[in-house]
Amino acid sequence: MTGSSTITPSGAGATDLVSRLRTVLARRTEGRALALLVVVAIGTIIFEPVAFTSYEVTLGRIALIGLVALGLTAVILMGELDLSVASTLALTGVVMASIDNLVLGILAALVVGLLIGAANAFFVVVVGINSFIATLGMLFFLRGLGFVVSDEQPVRIADVDAGIAFGKPLIGGLTPRMLIFIAVFVLMQIFTTRVRVGREFYAVGGNRQAARDAGIPVRRRIFTGFMISGFVAALAGVINTLERTAADPTAGSTVLLSSFAAAIIGGILLTGGRGSVFGTLLGATSLGILQVALTLSAVQVDVQNIIIGAVLLIAVITDPNSLRAVVGSVRSWLRGRSVATT
Amino acid sequence: MSDGGGSGSGSGVKAPPTLETAAVDTAPGVPQSNGMIGGADEQSQSAVILEWLAERGIFLFTTALVLIAAVFVDGFASLDNITDVFNRAAPIGIVAVGMTFVVISANYLDLSVVAQVATAAVVLIGVGNEAGIPVAMLVALLIALIYGLVNGVAVGVFKANAVIVTLATTFIGLGVLRWASGGSIYFGPQDSLIRRFGTTEIGPFPLSMIALIVIALILQFVLNRTTFGFTVKAYGSNREATRLAGINTAWVVIGAFTLSAIGAMIGGFVLAPYTNTAVSAMSDGFDFEALAAIIVGGTSVFGGRGSVLRTLLGVVFVSVLTNIMVLSGLGFGYQQMAIGALIVLAVSVDALARKAVSS
Amino acid sequence: MQDQSRRSRWWLMGLALFVAGSLFAACGDDEGDSTATDDTTATDDTTATDDTTAADDSASDDGDAAASGDGEFEVFALLPQGNDQPYGTTYLPPMQAKADELGINLTITNSQYDADKQASECETAVAANPDLIILWPAVGDTVRPCLEAANDAGIPVTVTNSDVNPEDQDLTEAYSGPDTYGQGVASAELMCEFAAGEEIGIIMINGLTGNSTAIDREAGFEDTINEQCPNVEILARQPGNWNKDESQIAASEMITAVGAENIQGVYAADDTMVAGAIDALKARDIDPSTLIVTSIGNTFLGNPLVVSGELDGTVFQSSSWDGEHAITVAHEILTNNPDERLVEFMPSVKVTAENADAPEVAPEW
Repeated sequence: MTGSSTITPSGAGATDLVSRLRTVLARRTEGRALALLVVVAIGTIIFEPVAFTSYEVTLGRIALIGLVALGLTAVILMGELDLSVASTLALTGVVMASIDNLVLGILAALVVGLLIGAANAFFVVVVGINSFIATLGMLFFLRGLGFVVSDEQPVRIADVDAGIAFGKPLIGGLTPRMLIFIAVFVLMQIFTTRVRVGREFYAVGGNRQAARDAGIPVRRRIFTGFMISGFVAALAGVINTLERTAADPTAGSTVLLSSFAAAIIGGILLTGGRGSVFGTLLGATSLGILQVALTLSAVQVDVQNIIIGAVLLIAVITDPNSLRAVVGSVRSWLRGRSVATT
Repeated sequence: MSDGGGSGSGSGVKAPPTLETAAVDTAPGVPQSNGMIGGADEQSQSAVILEWLAERGIFLFTTALVLIAAVFVDGFASLDNITDVFNRAAPIGIVAVGMTFVVISANYLDLSVVAQVATAAVVLIGVGNEAGIPVAMLVALLIALIYGLVNGVAVGVFKANAVIVTLATTFIGLGVLRWASGGSIYFGPQDSLIRRFGTTEIGPFPLSMIALIVIALILQFVLNRTTFGFTVKAYGSNREATRLAGINTAWVVIGAFTLSAIGAMIGGFVLAPYTNTAVSAMSDGFDFEALAAIIVGGTSVFGGRGSVLRTLLGVVFVSVLTNIMVLSGLGFGYQQMAIGALIVLAVSVDALARKAVSS
Repeated sequence: MQDQSRRSRWWLMGLALFVAGSLFAACGDDEGDSTATDDTTATDDTTATDDTTAADDSASDDGDAAASGDGEFEVFALLPQGNDQPYGTTYLPPMQAKADELGINLTITNSQYDADKQASECETAVAANPDLIILWPAVGDTVRPCLEAANDAGIPVTVTNSDVNPEDQDLTEAYSGPDTYGQGVASAELMCEFAAGEEIGIIMINGLTGNSTAIDREAGFEDTINEQCPNVEILARQPGNWNKDESQIAASEMITAVGAENIQGVYAADDTMVAGAIDALKARDIDPSTLIVTSIGNTFLGNPLVVSGELDGTVFQSSSWDGEHAITVAHEILTNNPDERLVEFMPSVKVTAENADAPEVAPEW
């Protein structure tokens, strides 16, 4: 560290600043999301400024992609996964629409979301199944249940007018969906950075044994994380159902993969312990802007998918850890070669 | 008939731990990967039973389900129906046995099989109509190798997460396929070799099922009797140790993803002849369905532990279950619920057993 | 040594970002190029195909107006499928050709039957403020907010392929496309006709579970059977998910479940699936021509089966009619703005052995 700074030709004060900046940057995980966002934003401003002038549309798309991803972040930070979010969204929507009283329906849906989260956590913590499998089982089970409850048909909510009113802007072009999204973001950000319980998520994800040794109630934290994820997915189900005035048991077919994409682009490590809610927001924002811009500029859907896939691939292999791994293997390969030649 | 397959898998299941330990012992510094060996003195009676259950769980479940169905479900035990079960099992099974290597290498799953199966099917019929089947198969093989290489390099060299990498290659692959094929549905000629492959049956066995069994046996051999197989398991149970042992881990991962890609290609090769049609949407859902079969079979998603023949049994189990539900007139919703409940149940037994053993 | 490694890391990072950047630049170029070429082809076509326009019925007099007059219309088409489905694949080219001909600039989206995605695309479309929106609802029950938003913005909406619910229809200017419920009815009428009053049992293969076309066709078929020929009994039903292989297995299993001797007929919600069911019958050594088999579509797969007698009757759904009329109806609204809601149903032509060779019912997809 010190060796490198003396070698650099620039002044000592500047290098100090640079190295301090570097350490700060190295600790942050949002770098790639930020770079992507800048590229996407500049491209969009040049080619499709409409995506910014009608910001409420772009915000709506970001909220659609990002809300479930925010909840998912809580689980991923602990090194767990929740594949059941899309099915949770569909099922809670159906539950809500099946109950005639709007308020009761919303409450029931949110409670169902919490229960699903608790059930997921039960299988992970108490039974001891890998969360990937437990929630894969729930993905199938809840989707099936959604079809059974809805009789395999869309269910219209009783009070259609309330739903339509819900989709209208509330404050300055912002619809309730966006306000809820912003609120969830702020709460999650505060929770994971300022509240002890939330900060402990990082410890649980980073090194579970160490967290246990440090006296963190790991099991309870995992329960909390899954219930947050289930609740937020239910919230998204409620919002979608209200805005569309009907619940669709096939809903959420594109939700799971896009929310994972948002979280990963946002720099969250799937093995847990690293990442931030803010990163997820950045990931969702760049994906949202990209999608709106591509739609506006009439790029063929298949080509859109190719572009989004390429962005994902680049995002995931430009992870600092990935690059370090490549450098490492190249170097060991070179060393192997030089040993062989001498 | 399922007895024959079952006892074969029984011995197959028993074999790996010893062989694996043998392999691992040769690599210095690799810790014991398998919690089931050793420390067995203080096992309680119930733990022994649970462990025994977990070890043979899928075999017992399958046998029980088949027996119950044969007695209680009208028409289950008929030759025609057994053919239907096999037709359900074969394409997804071939995909699943290939993907088993990815799971054992502790890389979760290969989502891109959806794109790969559809691509292989469309190429087989689309290119086959134009340039003949050998050329089509060669093109499909080339594409499969590209998939294996891209997924493998991204995961093995760049150490990127397999879920996201294969998600990205799914987007790209399906996009390219639809863009190139225009999404059209392709039909094979009525009297072609492909058509005959898809309609021929030997007893209750469609040729696709025979292909599945042969491929599963070959891959089981690869997994248990070759250096590559040992290395995949060792890598799956402890990456760092495998690397320190001087093994080129990148090639292990690339190999696992290539096997998965070749499995998906052959899956497409048997799916297309069955209906003599190919379209880009034909393999929707193959990713998680194949994973479900692997997991129900008992391959650990933590990596390092698993067996191809168990995956084969898992596929048969899921196919029998779906078959029974269709025979009983239950709808799609109930079918999905049953599969979901089954995954959780099968893995719960395994997890509880291991807990009981370790405590 | 360490320094070197760090430098190479930054270097690699820079390279990766450069690749990422150039990719975006490339796709940005693509965007520019594609719109540019779209423009030129559109104008070229409008002038070149003026004569052919005259041949078309409804668009004849407006075609000239568009070509000669104030020029181009911006139209968003919100579709739930495209090149990912065989129908969408053959729907899109005639639609695009007609749009080029009439001087309409199309922006097409594909929501893959995700209602929430389509709603978001609708918001995007409204924000782009086009002259008109063509909507093919992903889920019929969920489109009202989209329609209201377009209405508030003063953008007319026409509906294609699957109509919106009756209570939402006053928010739309026009509908063109098949009557999906009516197709189920027509297929049931064929079934009733062939059954000729005899007591028969049939198996039913439906489309993708939860899909609105699947739901409408199933309802149309079942309602008609119950009303017109209660002598036909539906013994078992399963989804075939619009797939030939899934339909084939499901049909075979249903044959096992109810017994081959009890089945005198098969209905499938489209030709791809009925082809699977016919293969399932053949695999059981049952001659499909001895059974009453009906479906919907008259596709490249279904039409030859009608000719060979294995499929007794199907209902023609023309993807090119559907795609073209989406545009002609939209153009009619843009240029003439009629007071009444314009509705053009695709004729539900029944195709049987008698007319299967006729050029009017030549298959398209």
